Amino acid sequence: MAKLDRVRMAGFLAALPLIGGMTLQRRQAAGPGLAMLSFLGGLAVGIFIGAVTLVAAGVPADDLLDELVVQVFLTSDGLAQTVVLATPLLLAGLSSAVASRIRFWNIGIEGQLWMGAIAAAGVALFHIGPEPLRLPLMMLAACIAGACWIALPLLLKLRLGVSEIVLTLMLSNVAYLIMQHLLFGAWQDPSGSFPISPRFDDAATLPGLGWGDVHAGILIALIAGLALWVLMERTRAGFHANAIGLNPVAARAAGIPVAATVVLFVLLSGALSGLAGGVIVAGTEHRLTQFIGINMTFSGIVIAFLARFNALATIVAALAIAGIYNAGGTLKVFYSVSDGVVVLVEGAVLMCVLIGQFFSAYRIEFARRPATVEDAEGEAA
Amino acid sequence: MGTAGPQTAPLLALSGVSRSFDGVRVLDRAAFDLKRGEIHALLGENGAGKSTLMNIVTGVYAPEGGRYLIDGAPAGIRGPKDALKAGIGMVHQHFRLVDRFTVAENVLLASGQLGLFANAGEAARAAMEAGKAVGLAVDPAAIVGELSVAERQRVEILKVLALGARIVILDEPTAVLTDQEAGALLLAIRKIAAQGRAVVMITHKLREVAGHSDRVTIMRAGRTVISGAPVGTLSAGDLGRLMMGEETSPAEAAEAGVIEAAAPITIAKPGEERLIVSALYAGGGQGSVGVSDVGFTLKAGEILGVAGVGGNGQQALAEAIVGLLPVAGGHLTLDGWELGEFSVARRRDLGLRVVPSDRFASALIGELSVADNLALTRVRTGRYRSRLGSWLVGRRRMKREAEQAIEAFAIAGATPARRARLLSGGNAQKLLLARELEESGSGVKLLVAHSPTRGLDVKACAFVHAAIRKAVAGGAACLLISEDVEEVRALASRILVMSAGRMVGELPAGASASQIGALILGQA
Repeated sequence: MAKLDRVRMAGFLAALPLIGGMTLQRRQAAGPGLAMLSFLGGLAVGIFIGAVTLVAAGVPADDLLDELVVQVFLTSDGLAQTVVLATPLLLAGLSSAVASRIRFWNIGIEGQLWMGAIAAAGVALFHIGPEPLRLPLMMLAACIAGACWIALPLLLKLRLGVSEIVLTLMLSNVAYLIMQHLLFGAWQDPSGSFPISPRFDDAATLPGLGWGDVHAGILIALIAGLALWVLMERTRAGFHANAIGLNPVAARAAGIPVAATVVLFVLLSGALSGLAGGVIVAGTEHRLTQFIGINMTFSGIVIAFLARFNALATIVAALAIAGIYNAGGTLKVFYSVSDGVVVLVEGAVLMCVLIGQFFSAYRIEFARRPATVEDAEGEAA
Repeated sequence: MGTAGPQTAPLLALSGVSRSFDGVRVLDRAAFDLKRGEIHALLGENGAGKSTLMNIVTGVYAPEGGRYLIDGAPAGIRGPKDALKAGIGMVHQHFRLVDRFTVAENVLLASGQLGLFANAGEAARAAMEAGKAVGLAVDPAAIVGELSVAERQRVEILKVLALGARIVILDEPTAVLTDQEAGALLLAIRKIAAQGRAVVMITHKLREVAGHSDRVTIMRAGRTVISGAPVGTLSAGDLGRLMMGEETSPAEAAEAGVIEAAAPITIAKPGEERLIVSALYAGGGQGSVGVSDVGFTLKAGEILGVAGVGGNGQQALAEAIVGLLPVAGGHLTLDGWELGEFSVARRRDLGLRVVPSDRFASALIGELSVADNLALTRVRTGRYRSRLGSWLVGRRRMKREAEQAIEAFAIAGATPARRARLLSGGNAQKLLLARELEESGSGVKLLVAHSPTRGLDVKACAFVHAAIRKAVAGGAACLLISEDVEEVRALASRILVMSAGRMVGELPAGASASQIGALILGQA
């Protein structure tokens, strides 16, 4: 009977009573036009709420367009900075998207990112491997470390049914503490008293592309995005993953290799988060520092949901979120807007877009009582 | 009309009620009324508009125009809550119970008398009394998840009675019951009506209309072709004709009325032994019945029917053969292959095909397209590999095959890109058959069909039965597990009766319903 629950739930949602005479009804089929309209509508409302929030926080309304659009997307320097910020965000978004496809909720992107950063830094600091291979080795180490960090929750979920949500989240804290242990101890830069590692050799830093601070990491992230799009939309494993995410019971009964597909996608998710850590230390910071992972889990999930778990859309969503962060940096400095307000704006946009998606699947209906009453009275008279 | 006083006014009356969804008119000026103390059958095929009409009665949907009167006055129902207040209760086909709660807790939850401190005693006790009065006793302390389907249905009815409903709507109440259980339920329904309530019985079984209701409303294509006619004035043939339209062939009408009238299946000669089950043990525990010491042989070209009350190990038997449930003891062999350690995929590669009892829970994926659902079991085999590489999926062939399947199986309302959940029950089942049996059917060695026609209308049933017969005629073997005795009798060349996880008897094809019933009861 447990299998019926899904059916029952769907039936329940199909006629959820709301306040008064309103009921919620599932649409028979939402066309692509309606889906796009509700997405754009949600985005517009979200941006409006975000703008109001910023004005309330003290940003002059006249400056909003300049700060949020022109300075972060339409000037060369501003766009370069946005792209730099978007590089790890894109990888984190892909990490979330690939795990969410099979409904594995990876809430530990930061943890995998930390472990990836530590592994890459380890390769750099201990000069492992010949110099020409140093960078590839760092990236590989970052991927493996990230995958290992998600392997434990994965194993416990597959074997014992333990919730991956709590485990991945908690392991993030563990990874953070390991990083702190290293930065306040063995890996601390001896030339100063800050909790940062020594600077990497040139052989261990990603080359710049001659455009602001933009480095080769963006190419890695874009290639990862394209490869994941092919994987998720065009391959056998992607087809299977989609089925598993939507109905694991039916997928299993259809003979789909459920466990193997889940393992592949979840390990990939961990590897991508780890890679994000590797790209940050090798491309932007050139050393291990203790602030590189902040907000990456939240942002990764936001980006993946905005992109509806589509890899190509993730690229666009990552740029958009990076733009908000970039603008946020300026707002912080020039208008003393706090970090929290920037996250608030990001959250408002996400919520509105998700609500918009909801309305492309459901419709609210109002019972039309007066019409019936008049009809009846007319008949009686 | 306007002079009717409250005493003579019908309990409930709808007229000229319409309703459209996304521009499709599913209800067209329907009329319906109810009197106190009557059982009113609502008859119609899948998609005729029965559910929509009842959803309007219960306030789930708002009507588009028309009148809705209760006791002769405008109903003013603006939502499900208003309908409950007006004393309208519905027992849905898919139960809405909290499995981990007791019977009493479920009844209390529905009664709306849940205060800050829940007193499960009073409301539940009243409901139990009401249940006993009509012959629907259930242990109030039992956990709902551990009850049989028939008992759960009783809980659903008690919930409605606990609300003091004057109008009780039952959606396909006998669809999930055995003949014996259905008989008991119909008796209870009569008692409920005799208490002065009105009962609406949604059904597509003609027998229930003729024998157990007072008036009948027949719906076809969104219209009420007959509204509230006394049952005695219509013959079984009339009912069938009105329900299915004039173009219906006599054979179909006969099948609707009495399945026995259909030609019995005659398989020329059973072939080699295909499936051998010996001393099989699987599943069980946690409130579900497993398979205990089951053994039988199934030959190519044969349909072996497994009859019995649902929840007696049928699910475990099907899942053990399919590979979803590990074999705890005994042997399963298909064409000489020991299946015990084989994955679902390997079993499918051997020619095992499945139509499970709950198609959208465990076979189809509603949010995927028709083409994807058809390809679901085949992508793994590399059938759709692209020219660029074997690990890539080529969509073109998938789409072409979907178009062919839609045509070959006459799946109405389907396009390759349309999501499967938008199909009606019968067409979703056709989609599943198209995938499992394919057109040629040559690769099919064993078909496990579990309640393949549950909830389907007469035409869809006939289609499913024909598809099964065709596959078997092509050399497949079929294990038909069904709670519908008539279905087993119509299709099977041998009949096993399952009870409490065991096979309690075997009967030849010509066995009567009462012989089968006796075996079911003997062990129950």
